[in-house]
Amino acid sequence: MINDIRVGGLIAYCSVKRGNKKTLMFIVFVLSLIFMNLVFLPSMIGGMTVLFTGFMQDYPYGDIVIEPSGDNTYINNADNVLQKVRAVEGVRAATKRLDAGASIEHKQKVVGATITGLLPTEEYDISQYPYIISEGDFLGELSRDEIIIGAMIAGTGFGSEIYDNLGEVRPGSLVDVTYSNGVKRTYKVKGIMEGSFELVDLNALVHYKEIEEVYGLEESKATSVVVRIDKQGSEEQVQDKIREAGVNEQIFTWADKSETLIKQAMQSMGAINIMSKFVSLIVGAALVLIIIYINVLNRKKEIGILKAVGITPGSIVLSYAFLSMFYVSLGILAGLTLYFSLMLYFQANPVTFYETMEIRPQIDPMLLIQSIVTMLTLSVIAGTLPAWSVSKESILKAIWGR
Amino acid sequence: MIIVKNLKRYYGTGETAVKALKGVSFEINKGEFVAIMGASGSGKTTLLRILALLDDATDGEYTIRGLQVSSLPEAERSYYRLTQVGYVFQDYALINEMSAAENVYILSMMEGKSRKESYETALEALDKVGLKGKHNRVPDELSGGEKQRVAIARAIAKKPDILFADEPCANLDTNNSKQVLEVFKELNEKYGQTIVMVTHEPWHTEYVDRVITLEDGNLVNDEKKKEVKNNPYVPHF
Repeated sequence: MINDIRVGGLIAYCSVKRGNKKTLMFIVFVLSLIFMNLVFLPSMIGGMTVLFTGFMQDYPYGDIVIEPSGDNTYINNADNVLQKVRAVEGVRAATKRLDAGASIEHKQKVVGATITGLLPTEEYDISQYPYIISEGDFLGELSRDEIIIGAMIAGTGFGSEIYDNLGEVRPGSLVDVTYSNGVKRTYKVKGIMEGSFELVDLNALVHYKEIEEVYGLEESKATSVVVRIDKQGSEEQVQDKIREAGVNEQIFTWADKSETLIKQAMQSMGAINIMSKFVSLIVGAALVLIIIYINVLNRKKEIGILKAVGITPGSIVLSYAFLSMFYVSLGILAGLTLYFSLMLYFQANPVTFYETMEIRPQIDPMLLIQSIVTMLTLSVIAGTLPAWSVSKESILKAIWGR
Repeated sequence: MIIVKNLKRYYGTGETAVKALKGVSFEINKGEFVAIMGASGSGKTTLLRILALLDDATDGEYTIRGLQVSSLPEAERSYYRLTQVGYVFQDYALINEMSAAENVYILSMMEGKSRKESYETALEALDKVGLKGKHNRVPDELSGGEKQRVAIARAIAKKPDILFADEPCANLDTNNSKQVLEVFKELNEKYGQTIVMVTHEPWHTEYVDRVITLEDGNLVNDEKKKEVKNNPYVPHF
């Protein structure tokens, strides 16, 4: 066996060293495209998934969200809940929010929206709301007569033409808000927020105290307590710890909450991803096999000669396995170079989805490892099968190339 | 050394079968330099391929040093080809991507020799055939005669019991042919190498000890060289 490996290695080495370099480059180029085919689309889908899950975490739900239990509309004594939550190991920050339904009116134009009452200074550690103000400023602690309007309902962002909007509301404009309980308030628009996400851009934000006052709420009520954690991926452990800390409200991870909305989309994308990987794998396997098979057929005479002079079929098969692995390894290297170049390009120039959502492909190390292992396994099969088949043929037929 | 009894080789079956060898019998002794001659289609190349274990006989017996090689399984035949038999092809059959030395030493490596030892063996064999200093050249950088001498070096490097050559000078001009035949003659006389060579060139018989002549798959003559001149089947040079 050792002799087979040595001789197989020598044959492969000579073939690479003195073989046709143009053919080698062509094979490597095609193999690099096969590798790209395996990794690129899943990376794009990964980017979409990250984008959507990022939206869910960055705006409505954080990493963990606590909501009223049973049929209750509010979490009673949210400050007590916050105190318990903030004491839990692994919790980075937490805040309370009050959501209310309302209609917003500006110059005879009326739109319906969810208005979220929040504590502006706490939101800097919880959400991206303070960082997506495209015009004007975010709310401050004293912003009691001010409102932040989503770009879509303000009529300034993408999607304004799809949804009802207020017609070019700007910072400084006055809007009338009629809450679901009939209370009407006039706010000055302090800023326009543009998150490239409907759940954000179709909403409005006011100070927590405003909602509390409008609805006459006492004792720190909240429709949700939003929690951010230190370590992504540990949501479920922190969720359990919050329960153990004595919080009896409903506790969800962002993934639980997005089940009906994003999770379905993610599942669809996951299915597309799996199908795409499967098809890529079949196409990749077929191409690798064809390339190596043609290569072996072109060397049929050589295989016959080697057998005729006493080289064992094992050595011959191994030489093609080595050769095939070498081609595929170079293909993978070239593919990785191409892949990372494209990744760099798309990081700088993301694919724009619905004109506002910027999708940056995600580099998933596991996906890369899986693809590399797949390609190398394929290379061994692709190199071995045809060579094994030819090496089993009669010497004379192989030499004659039949 | 070699005993061939009633060796037959048919291609196809029934009425349409082509009978390349119709039952050939002879013996070759150690150290002999034998030429197998005959017209095209006489069965000489078929016979050589069977003797070199590249093809199977349809019927008959074939033994080398008492071992019935015709019935060996493929793995043992492969080992036999590697260690006991050298074969020189008409068209050199060198691996184009290997240098002269690599074409030769790959067989020593297959036998389990170290790379260094294999390389030294290859250089020695190349020296023997007059290719000193050309061991790093690939086949495309060598003339036809040089290529054939590399093929001979490959065949003799492992010091085989028998060296088979299938029309080794067919693609060479007279000058190169003479050089190749001189190499064979020297191997035979100096090292006692047994050589069986297929040829259709009458003048090649000047170099051999014995001539076996085939016609239509039958052995029609088997004579020592000194008797060759009187043999009506072998034209004079």
